[in-house]
Amino acid sequence: MADLPAIEVEKPKSARSARWENIARGLYRFRSNKLSMLGLAMLIFIVLVAIFAPVIAPYPEDAAGKTRVTARLQPPSEDFAFGTDKIGRDIFSRVVMGTGLALQVGTVIILLATTIGVTIGAISGYAGGWLDDLLMRVTDIFLTVPALVLAIAISAALGKGIINTMIGISLVWWPGFARLTRSLVLSLREEPFVEAAYGIGAGHLRIIFRHILPNAVSPIIIKMTTDFGFAVLTAAALGFIGLGAQPPTPEWGAMINDGRRYFPDEWWIATFPGLAIWLMVFSWNLIGDGLRDVLDPRSRR
Amino acid sequence: MNIRFYILRRIALVIPTLIGLSILTFSISRIVPGDPVGLAAGPRATEEIKEAFRREFGLDQPLPIQYLRYMAGLLSGDWGESLYTRRDVINDLRVFWPATLELTTAAVIIATLLGVPAGVISAMYRNRLPDHVARVLSLFFVSFPSFWLAMIFQTWFGRDLGMFPIGKRLPVLVPPPASTTGLFLIDSLIQLDFDTFLISLRHLFIPALVLSFGAFASITRITRASMVEALEKDFVRMERAIGIPYRIIIFKYVLRNALIATITVISLNFGWLMAGAILIETIFDWPGLGIYAVEASLSLDFQPIMGIAILYGVVFSVINILTDIVYGVLDPRIRYG
Repeated sequence: MADLPAIEVEKPKSARSARWENIARGLYRFRSNKLSMLGLAMLIFIVLVAIFAPVIAPYPEDAAGKTRVTARLQPPSEDFAFGTDKIGRDIFSRVVMGTGLALQVGTVIILLATTIGVTIGAISGYAGGWLDDLLMRVTDIFLTVPALVLAIAISAALGKGIINTMIGISLVWWPGFARLTRSLVLSLREEPFVEAAYGIGAGHLRIIFRHILPNAVSPIIIKMTTDFGFAVLTAAALGFIGLGAQPPTPEWGAMINDGRRYFPDEWWIATFPGLAIWLMVFSWNLIGDGLRDVLDPRSRR
Repeated sequence: MNIRFYILRRIALVIPTLIGLSILTFSISRIVPGDPVGLAAGPRATEEIKEAFRREFGLDQPLPIQYLRYMAGLLSGDWGESLYTRRDVINDLRVFWPATLELTTAAVIIATLLGVPAGVISAMYRNRLPDHVARVLSLFFVSFPSFWLAMIFQTWFGRDLGMFPIGKRLPVLVPPPASTTGLFLIDSLIQLDFDTFLISLRHLFIPALVLSFGAFASITRITRASMVEALEKDFVRMERAIGIPYRIIIFKYVLRNALIATITVISLNFGWLMAGAILIETIFDWPGLGIYAVEASLSLDFQPIMGIAILYGVVFSVINILTDIVYGVLDPRIRYG
C-alpha cells in the first residue's frame, strides 16, 4: 500500500493556548456588538470618574459633610453644577465622590455572593447524595422570599450602615450562583475528560478546581456582570429606605432619600443621584447583555 | 401519576421549605445586635421595665423554647404583636396585604402586556431594527431605580400634567368599596360601583406602571428566546411549506409553545415585584405592606418584619405551585416525568 501523505491538522499547542484563542474570538464578537461597547465605554468613564473624583469634584470636602449655610438649596448654577442640598453641600461633588463607593459596594456584594454561591453549588453538584439535598433545601429557603425583603430584614438586624447593607445583600444574593454552579457541575461531572481525570487518579479538589470549574467560568461571569447593576440598585434601595449608608456618606440612594422631601420644587437634589445610579446600572446591563451573546451563543441567534 | 397526586406532592414539598424559612427569620430576629427592647421601652426605661417587657414578649426564655412558641403561634394564627403599636401582626398584614397584592398584580399584568408582544416582535424581526429597539428599551427602563422613577412619574403625570392622582388608593372623600377581597378594583365591581372602579384604576395606574418596568426586560428576553427556539422547530418549516400564513403560525402554534417558559418567568417576576412594591408604595403613599415594612425595619420591630417575610414566602410558594400546576396541565411530560 502506498504511503498516504500525513494529514497536517493544526492542533492548539496546549490547553492554555486553545483557551486564549477562545477568549480572543470572544473579544472580537464582543467588540462587534456596538451596544456592549457603549456599555463598556460608559463603565470606563464611571471608573475614571471614581479614580479622579477628588480632582473632578470642585468641593470634595462636601462628601464628608462640610456645610455651606449661605448656599442652601441653590438650583444648578455655574458654581454648583447640580445645585446644592438643604445644608448647602454641592450635589455634583457628592455624586462624583459617591461613584467609587457605588463601585465598591457592587464589587463586594458580587464577589462575596459568588464566593459563597460557587462554593456551595460546586460542593452540592459534585458530592450529590444527602449533602446535595441538604444544601439545596437551604438554598430553596433563601429563594422562597424575594431577595429585597430578606436583605431588608438582615440589614435591619445587623444595624444601619453601608457595611451591614453589603453583608445583608450578599447573604441573600448567593443562592442564584449556587443554583447555577450546581447545574453546571452536574453536567460537567459526566464529561469524559472528568472521568479520565478521575481514572488517572486525580483527587476531588484537583478535579473540581482544574477540570470542572474552569469550564463553568463563562456562565458565572455572565451572571456576575448582569447581577452587578442590580446589586448596586438593591444597595441604593436600602440606602433610600434609610437602612444603608448613613449621613453624611455620599451614597446615591441615601441622597435620593435626602432630596425626597424637597422634590419636585428643589428637584436637583434627588434627580442627579438617580441619574448616576441609572448610568451605572445601564452600563452593566449593556455589558452583561453583550457578554451573554459572546459566551452563550444560544441566547442570541 | 395523576394530576391530583402531582399537585399534592408539589404542596408537600413546600412544607419543609416554609419551616426552614421560619427558622431563618427567627434566627435573623435574634441576632439583632441592637436593643429592640430598649428602643421600644423608651430611653428612660429602668432595668425592671425592660425585664417586664422581655417577660411579656417571652424573650427571657431559651431560644429553642422561643422558637417553638413562635412556630405554634404561626400555625394558630398568632403572629406576634408589634413592639411599638402593640397591634397584632396578623391583623396588620390582613389590612395592608390586599393593597400590595393589587398593585403587584396590576404591575405583572402591565409587564406581561408590554413584554410578551415586545418579545414576539423581537423574535419575528430577529437582529433587525425592531429587535434592537426592544432590547435597548427594556434594558433602558429596567436600569432606573424604581423609587426614583416613581418620584419623577408622580410629578409629571400627577402634578404637571394632572392626568393622574399623585398617590393613595382613593381620594379621602371616596369611601372604599365594601371589602370582600380587599382589592378595590374587584370589590367595586362586585358592588357594581363603576365610579369607584374607575377612580381606583386611575390611582393604580402610575404606581403599577413604574413597578412593571422591573419585569419588562426579563419577560421580553425569555419570550424572544423561546420564540426563536420554537421558530426553528421542524413543525414550523412544515407549516410554512404547506402554506399556512406566517401570522397564524406565529400566534397559533409558535407562541403557545414559547409561552410555557414565559409563564415561569412571569411568576418569578411576581415575587420580585411584590418586593419592589415596598419601594414604590413609600413614594405613592400606597397603604400596603411597603410603608409597614419600612417603618418596622427602621425601628427594629421584628415581629412585623418576620411576619412579612413569612407572608411573602407563603405567597411566593403558592404562586410557584400554581405555575407548576399550569405547567403540568400544559405539558404532560412534566407531570409524568
